Amino acid sequence: MIGASYAAVPLYRLYCQTTGLGGSPVAGHASDQIETMVPVKDRIIKVTFNADVHASLHWNFRPQQTEIYVVPGETALAFYKAKNPTDKPVIGISTYNVVPFEAGQYFNKIQCFCFEEQRLNPQEEVDMPVFFFIDPEFAEDPKMAKVDVITLSYTFFEAKEGHKLPVPGYN
Amino acid sequence: MSTAMNFGTKSFQPRPPEKGSFPLDHFGECKAFKEKFMKCLRDNNFENTLCRNESKEYLECRMERQLMAQESLEKLGFKDLMDEKSEAKKNL
Repeated sequence: MIGASYAAVPLYRLYCQTTGLGGSPVAGHASDQIETMVPVKDRIIKVTFNADVHASLHWNFRPQQTEIYVVPGETALAFYKAKNPTDKPVIGISTYNVVPFEAGQYFNKIQCFCFEEQRLNPQEEVDMPVFFFIDPEFAEDPKMAKVDVITLSYTFFEAKEGHKLPVPGYN
Repeated sequence: MSTAMNFGTKSFQPRPPEKGSFPLDHFGECKAFKEKFMKCLRDNNFENTLCRNESKEYLECRMERQLMAQESLEKLGFKDLMDEKSEAKKNL
């Protein structure tokens, strides 16, 4: 999976290994948390989904559900779909955003499709899953008391040699 | 998006996913499980809690086909579904 077709390996690839662990100390900790966390069943949160593509990327990219209702402490699955309607393979790479800003720290993606190059062949269409949970501590944060809707937005860019994902901290 | 570092202003810091990126399911091997899950959501007002069996089955499909690193279902948050299953077996 390390074989890069680009001479310059973007820094962000190092963060997102398909094996998952990549030496990150956070990974093991998160699995333990997931196994023992208790859902806060009376705190229902609506998660809504946005999808964007950068102007130079000619993909059709959209969420497969406009919203999903979750509770903190319970893992959840959602899908996006992407299609390459052109006659050439296209490689895209995505980043994401969570609104409201303060809720972002509680939004944990276990696995998704972001930060790593995704190649779609001509006319190819694929499902893109996001597997996530909202940290149970969300329910204990007084600043989050009035937050009932969290919006997850993904934006796809075309991955080009030497291209740097315009995200602070990854340049 | 600005490429300048805005020190001191609050900006969203995206974090990479815990287990990295899902390989693309180029051949749609788990599409049927995805459809089952999506149908469950549509039938249940998009409540994730009511469709966890379907989401578990989708992830199991991926793991069986090398489209996801193997992980115990408990560590994916499905411990209660596993407990239910073993309870049901005991009562048979």
